[in-house]
Amino acid sequence: MRALLVALLAAAPAAQGACELPGGEAQKIESPRHVVLYRTRPAPLKVGQHFALEFAVCPAPQSVRVDAWMPEHRHGMNYRPTVTVTGEGSYKAEGLMLHMAGKWELVFEVRAKDSVERVAQVIRLE
Amino acid sequence: MKRITFLLLVFCAPALAVTFTDDEARKIAAHGPWPAPWTPDPSNRVSGNASAIDLGERLFFERRLSVNGEISCSHCHLPERNWSDGLPRAVGLAEVDRNAPSVVNVRYHRWFGWDGAHDSLWAQSINPILDPRELGASAARVAKLMRGDSDLACRYRKTFGPAPGADDEKILVDSAKALAAFQETLVSGRTAFDEFRDALTRGDRAAMTRYPEAAQRGLKIFVGKGACDVCHVGPAFTNGEFHDTGIAFFIRPGEVDSGRYGGIKKLLADRTNLLGPYNDDAKRSTAIGTRHVSLEHRNFGEFKVPSLRNLESSAPYMHNGSLASLRDVIKHYSEISPDRLHSDGEAILKALHLTPEEIEDLTAFLGTLSDRGGTYKRRPFPQDCR
Repeated sequence: MRALLVALLAAAPAAQGACELPGGEAQKIESPRHVVLYRTRPAPLKVGQHFALEFAVCPAPQSVRVDAWMPEHRHGMNYRPTVTVTGEGSYKAEGLMLHMAGKWELVFEVRAKDSVERVAQVIRLE
Repeated sequence: MKRITFLLLVFCAPALAVTFTDDEARKIAAHGPWPAPWTPDPSNRVSGNASAIDLGERLFFERRLSVNGEISCSHCHLPERNWSDGLPRAVGLAEVDRNAPSVVNVRYHRWFGWDGAHDSLWAQSINPILDPRELGASAARVAKLMRGDSDLACRYRKTFGPAPGADDEKILVDSAKALAAFQETLVSGRTAFDEFRDALTRGDRAAMTRYPEAAQRGLKIFVGKGACDVCHVGPAFTNGEFHDTGIAFFIRPGEVDSGRYGGIKKLLADRTNLLGPYNDDAKRSTAIGTRHVSLEHRNFGEFKVPSLRNLESSAPYMHNGSLASLRDVIKHYSEISPDRLHSDGEAILKALHLTPEEIEDLTAFLGTLSDRGGTYKRRPFPQDCR
């Protein structure tokens, strides 16, 4: 079963080329068109602590924005992160902070030539 | 034999009035340890410096900093009143629009003032000196005092190196940095809650039972039904950010306190902010919040989440001092109407519908967050500076 799971995970990015984020372990989010690999600095996240994201998007898009919000509370962050390109399809986002405990959604808004895709992952913060 | 000893311990261990789930225990543990670790402020080159702390303490009680020579910082931040003044709204040369927040534990803050208009303790310390309703002074007045008083000039030199020069604004900022160095030393002591929290984390049931039963029940509400710890998080019981709590923000007919909205605008226009020339940290390592803060319409009427430590002695409450007692504050959240909150704001607060017994329990718990007496003793100042 474990071998099958590895095979399935490997198959998805293979269609879009190998997706890598050098530098250690990373979280993976897959969408119909893109794969996002990311890690936070520092990790793990704490309530009310600024953090940065290192991330890669495959295939490399035209641009990407990062945001986070609490769907149940109907609000986003109090800070607007900036994204800088660190390589082909790889980025660093700075200035994020999750200022409350609870359920957050980390959102990557990926802009390609003919599409805008929202790639998101739920983060639960204690 | 070992087994018998274990059984004896189990049967002899005192029963707790309240049982906490693992999730609740984790949340409670997150409110410590206390005092929380702290490192000097890199934006202030004299943070933690003994000479600066001494100068800052003198300046904190120095009435000549005010335009009429009668008001010092301690006029609104009295040591015997938990470094606040007990008034709904502070009164300097005139009444201001907000409650005087305590300066205890300010070393742990990210934003300063109810609206967070300042991003460092030293920048915040300039504000009341210049505010016409507080000390009403000017950079020129502060500089003249620091240059003209031989004792203060000597202490300035000992703290900053050169004697106070011709740049008035620089002397004002340096004086504020000394004031900040002193205020950073004001940390509240350990409390009954801290003893309970530490006993809980090490599994010491005997020590846990010394915590009053009503406070235990109140703590369970705080981290459970009340979800108070969503905003009042961490060892200082605050997330350091801003929320609309349904308190009216009319100052007087036709005039409102814009809260965080105005605070962000003021912050970004302030040349003493952490992005400006007076930050002593070339890397601007603590300026990340200022660089990324986002001005939103929902910030209108938001105010900073205050720490709950030493809460009992800092009445009255809220940004405008409109609630006289802790019970009033709890009743406010128990009965809050969504109609009082911004329609485009957060959907966080809902009426808790607490019973009278629950209100008493929550009040009892909040009472255990005070250190009962404080640790500050004003030191006798040596008269001569050489």
